[in-house]
Amino acid sequence: MTVTKPRAGRTGARRHGLSSRDSLVLLLLALPGIAWFLVFAYGPMVGLVVAFKAFNIRDGIFGSPWNGLANFRYFLMSGDAATVVFNTVFLNALFLGASLLAGLVLALMLNEIRGGPYRRFMQSVIFFPYFVSPIVISIMLQVILSGVGGRGGLVNNLLSVVDLPQVSWYTEPGAWPWILTIVKVWQLGGYTSVIFLAAITSISEEVYEAAEIDGASRWRMALSITVPLLLPTFAVLVVLGVGRMFFGDFATIYAIVQDNGVLFPTTDVIDTYVFRSLRMIGDFGTTAAIGLFQSVVGFVFVAAAVLVQRRFQKESSIL
Amino acid sequence: MEPFAAVSYVTVTLFGLFCLVPLWMIVAGSLTDESVLGLNGYSLFPQPFSLRAYELLFTGQSLLNGYIASLFITVVGTILSISCTAAIAWVIARRLPFISRPLTIFAYVPMLFNGGLVPFYLLVTQVLGLTNSWFAMILPLMLAPFLIFVTVSFFRQMPEEILDAARIDGAGELRIFFQIVLPLSKPILAVLGLFYAVTYWNEWFTGLLFLTDPDKFPLQLILQNLISNVTNAASLPSSAGAAMAPVYQLRFAMTVLTVGPILLAYPFAQRFFVKGITLGATKG
Repeated sequence: MTVTKPRAGRTGARRHGLSSRDSLVLLLLALPGIAWFLVFAYGPMVGLVVAFKAFNIRDGIFGSPWNGLANFRYFLMSGDAATVVFNTVFLNALFLGASLLAGLVLALMLNEIRGGPYRRFMQSVIFFPYFVSPIVISIMLQVILSGVGGRGGLVNNLLSVVDLPQVSWYTEPGAWPWILTIVKVWQLGGYTSVIFLAAITSISEEVYEAAEIDGASRWRMALSITVPLLLPTFAVLVVLGVGRMFFGDFATIYAIVQDNGVLFPTTDVIDTYVFRSLRMIGDFGTTAAIGLFQSVVGFVFVAAAVLVQRRFQKESSIL
Repeated sequence: MEPFAAVSYVTVTLFGLFCLVPLWMIVAGSLTDESVLGLNGYSLFPQPFSLRAYELLFTGQSLLNGYIASLFITVVGTILSISCTAAIAWVIARRLPFISRPLTIFAYVPMLFNGGLVPFYLLVTQVLGLTNSWFAMILPLMLAPFLIFVTVSFFRQMPEEILDAARIDGAGELRIFFQIVLPLSKPILAVLGLFYAVTYWNEWFTGLLFLTDPDKFPLQLILQNLISNVTNAASLPSSAGAAMAPVYQLRFAMTVLTVGPILLAYPFAQRFFVKGITLGATKG
C-alpha cells in the first residue's frame, strides 16, 4: 500500500503513502455513495424525532409540537401490539426453520444426483422461484387456493376428488401461518440449497473415500459426514435469520394478504401493520413510534446475532 | 442404485415439479378461453386454446406503458447502482488511512439500524418531492450495503502486483480504477448488475407508496391493481371493447408478461447468481 509513485513537484504531494490529491480523487469517487447513505440511510434516522411528536404536515418534521411518549403508549396500549409482535417473531421462526431445513435436505439430495445435466437442470428449476416477485406469487397462490374469481382452485378440486369438504382459504386465518410457510419453502428452498451445496463442495473427497472403503452407504455418509460438516454453515444462517427476526417479510405477506382483515389475526406483522396505519389512518406519529420500537428491538437482535456469529467464524465477519 | 440415491432422485424431481406447477398454471391460464376460467377458476391445460388476452394486451396502451416504466426503472437503476456500488466498494477496499475504515462503519451501521417507514416516507414525499416520479422507485434501492461488502471482498482479492505495476507506470488513481480494476472485475459487476436488475424489476413497495398516476405504473404495480380490484381488470385494455374483456385470462397473461423477461434471461444469468450467493455466503 505504501508503494506510490513519487510525484515530485506537485503541490501538496506527500513523500509517503498516497498523495493528498489521490486521496481526494478517491473520496470523490465514493461521494455519490456517501451522499446516498447520508440521505437515504441516515436521513430517516434524524426523521425519527417524529416518533416523539404530534406530527402534522403543515408544521413539518421539526415544527410539529412534542408529545413525549404518547405515541408509544398509544401503540403499546392498543391490543394490536402483542398480536403483531407475536406474529412477526412466530412467522419468522417458522419461515427460517422450514426454509433452512428444506435447503439442507435438497442440498443433500442434489448431492446424490450424479448425472451432471439432470442435476444442473433441477438446480436451475428449484432456484427459479427466488426470482418470482411477491405480486406474482400472490396470483399463483390465488389460482391454487381459490381460483380466479373464487371458484374453487386447484387444492379445493383435489379435496373434492377425495370427498373432503371445500375450504374457503381466504377466510380461514388458522391455516395461514402454514400456507405462508409453504410459500417460503417454495421461494427459498432452492436458494438455501445453493448455499449448502457450496459448503458441501468444500468438503474434502478423501473423507468420503475413506468412508466408502469402510463400507458406508451413501445415506450413512450423508448423515455422519455431510450433515455434521454443514452444521457451522447452518448455525451461521440461523444466527443471521434470528438477527432479522424482528423485521417481517413485508413484501411477500402484504402481496398475498393485501387488506384482507379476516387474516390479520395470524398474518399481520409489524411491517404490514406500520404500512397500513400510515396508508389508511395517516397517523405519522404513532406509526413512527412503532417503527422506532421495531428498529430498537431489531437492533438488539441483529447486534446479538453479529456478536454470536463472530464467535462462530471469526474470519468471515465484515469489520 | 443405492436406496438413498433413488429417494433423492424422486424427491428432487417432485420438488422441481412443485416449483414449476404454479408457473405452468399461470401460463396455461393465460392461453385458456375465458369461459373455462370463469367456470373452474384455473386451468391445467390450455383447452380451449385462446390468444384473446394477449391480443388485447398487445393492442392496448397499458402494457406498453408498464414495460416502459419497468424498463426505465430497471435500466437506469441498475446502471446507477453498479456505478455507485463499485466506486464506494473500491475506496473501502483500497484500505486508505483515515478513509476506508470510517467508510466501512458508515456503510455498515445502516445494516444494523434504520429509521423505519415513516421518516423514509416523509423524506421521499416532503423533502425530496419525488411523488409520482420513477426516481422514487430507483433512489431508495440504489445501494445495498450487503452487495457493497461482497464487492469489497472481491476487490481485495485483486493481485496487488498489477496495481503496483500501474502505479510505477504513472497511472493515477482514477485511471487505475477505470482502466485496470473495472475491466478485471467483470464477474462481480455481472453479479451486481443481475441482483440489482431483478430487485428493480420486481420492486413494487415503493411504487405502492409513491406512485398514484396509473400511467406511470410499472408492470408489478399494474398487477397489484389487478389483484386488489378485479374490476380494474376490465378497464385494462382501454382501446378494446372493455365490456367483453376476459378479465381472468388477462390477469394471467399480464402475469406471464411480467415474469417473462426474467424467465428469458434466467438460463443465461443463473450461474452469476450462484456465484454471487456463494461469494456472499462465504465472505458476507
